[in-house]
Amino acid sequence: MAITREPHAPPKLRAARSGVDEWMDKDFKFGGSHIKRKAVALILLGAPALAPLFFMAPAFFTMNKNTFSGSVDDTLGTGAAICLFLCLLVTPMTMLTGQHWFVPLRRWFGIMMAASAFGDAIAAGLTDTFEGGFLGVVAGHVFELMGFMIVMLLIPLVITSNHWAQRKLGRYWKRLQQLTYATWILLGFHLILLEGVGFERGDNGSGFAGDGDPIFHQRFYQYGACSLFLLTLRLPLVKRWIAARQREGREWLVWVTIAPIFALFVFGMIFFINEQIFKGIDSFRETPSSE
Amino acid sequence: MSETYATGGYPAVGQEDTTVGGAIVIAMSILSAVLVIAGLAYATGTGARHKAALAAAECEPNLSPSGLQCTTVAMLASQYTAIMTLATQQLSIDGAAYTANQKDHLTAAESALAAAVAAEHALDTKLAGFPFPPAVARTAKALIQANQALAALTAEQARSSSLTQLRSFNPRVEVASAAVQREMTLVRYALAVPPTANQEP
Repeated sequence: MAITREPHAPPKLRAARSGVDEWMDKDFKFGGSHIKRKAVALILLGAPALAPLFFMAPAFFTMNKNTFSGSVDDTLGTGAAICLFLCLLVTPMTMLTGQHWFVPLRRWFGIMMAASAFGDAIAAGLTDTFEGGFLGVVAGHVFELMGFMIVMLLIPLVITSNHWAQRKLGRYWKRLQQLTYATWILLGFHLILLEGVGFERGDNGSGFAGDGDPIFHQRFYQYGACSLFLLTLRLPLVKRWIAARQREGREWLVWVTIAPIFALFVFGMIFFINEQIFKGIDSFRETPSSE
Repeated sequence: MSETYATGGYPAVGQEDTTVGGAIVIAMSILSAVLVIAGLAYATGTGARHKAALAAAECEPNLSPSGLQCTTVAMLASQYTAIMTLATQQLSIDGAAYTANQKDHLTAAESALAAAVAAEHALDTKLAGFPFPPAVARTAKALIQANQALAALTAEQARSSSLTQLRSFNPRVEVASAAVQREMTLVRYALAVPPTANQEP
């Protein structure tokens, strides 16, 4: 089969799309050296992914078991979920904008997701109070088993997240990397089982924070809000519809139609980020919140 | 070779496919809009629900920065009593040691006073870090000040060069101790009374 790129795309559209990529590829002078705009933009966009590990660093250096036991899941676990969503966001944004300069962020967010998830699993295994030793803690309950499976899947994903592995694995590399979708699904099961299958019953689930707002505390709902956008824009039929509108030069229609779904994504992410900041700061100060 | 790659990242076009795809996008868009509007509407009632839940559980909302943690008044009073019991026991031991030595053993009496000063400073630190709710803050501040005054006086007493000078502090120390006891009782009573609705933020 012949490989042709965007045979039906009008020249004007392609030029507009590549314009930002070209602008990002240019250098600028800073302190006598030439720096690519893209590099600066990628560092600025990627740096927040270090936040979960940064928040836990003081507890790590002081070996504060209390902080790890109290808030590592909220800090590193939430951080891993945020990184996963950001990793999954790259492809739809590439499709919508036609820009590719931010594609390296997909790998970065994936690696940081793995780092946070590994840290969460190890710390939980060593400090949680469940019975059964390390394995009993990380896989002794069904919701934890889901988290453990995520971690296991992330190991080959991280090991092969480099150009050398990509070359060696060839066409199998992409198939292997599609395990990311399995981690996405397992995260949903992990959260739904963690918090009373989406419903608060008594003090079951994180909804019981004493503030009368169980719905806003259910992380599965937040997961659902974020996932709807990411899932919808991966459906082949939807991708075809978007591509057709873009070829017609009616990109505004795509943006207008997608806007509410993206708003829901942002709405869900706000809760994750809010959790990350407040629990993370508590962890950083080594005064873990028990909420 | 995948269809996606063959068309340069864009799937092949078919009018039927794009119609279905458009219908899916519109359906998801409407669902999302409804959910966002419902979420925002629900969010406007957060404050009222928060207060109602706290009132129902006799919770004090000012004990965590995010206001989400729920600590009951009974839990707070219990934590305060634990701190006070520990401090009072230590001060009683130090006081007994001082009383036993104040007439004929200057060094031993000063040592007992030094231990009392350490206990008073420890109490001071614990009180300063205790999450007193706003309704009790003023009384708690008075307790901390009274305890600091007692610690300063006890430290001065511990530096006495003779037994006579040492005992000359006794009346003033007793007055300062009584002031601390009085403030302790006031704080305990203040913590035992749940805050009224208008005291909550």
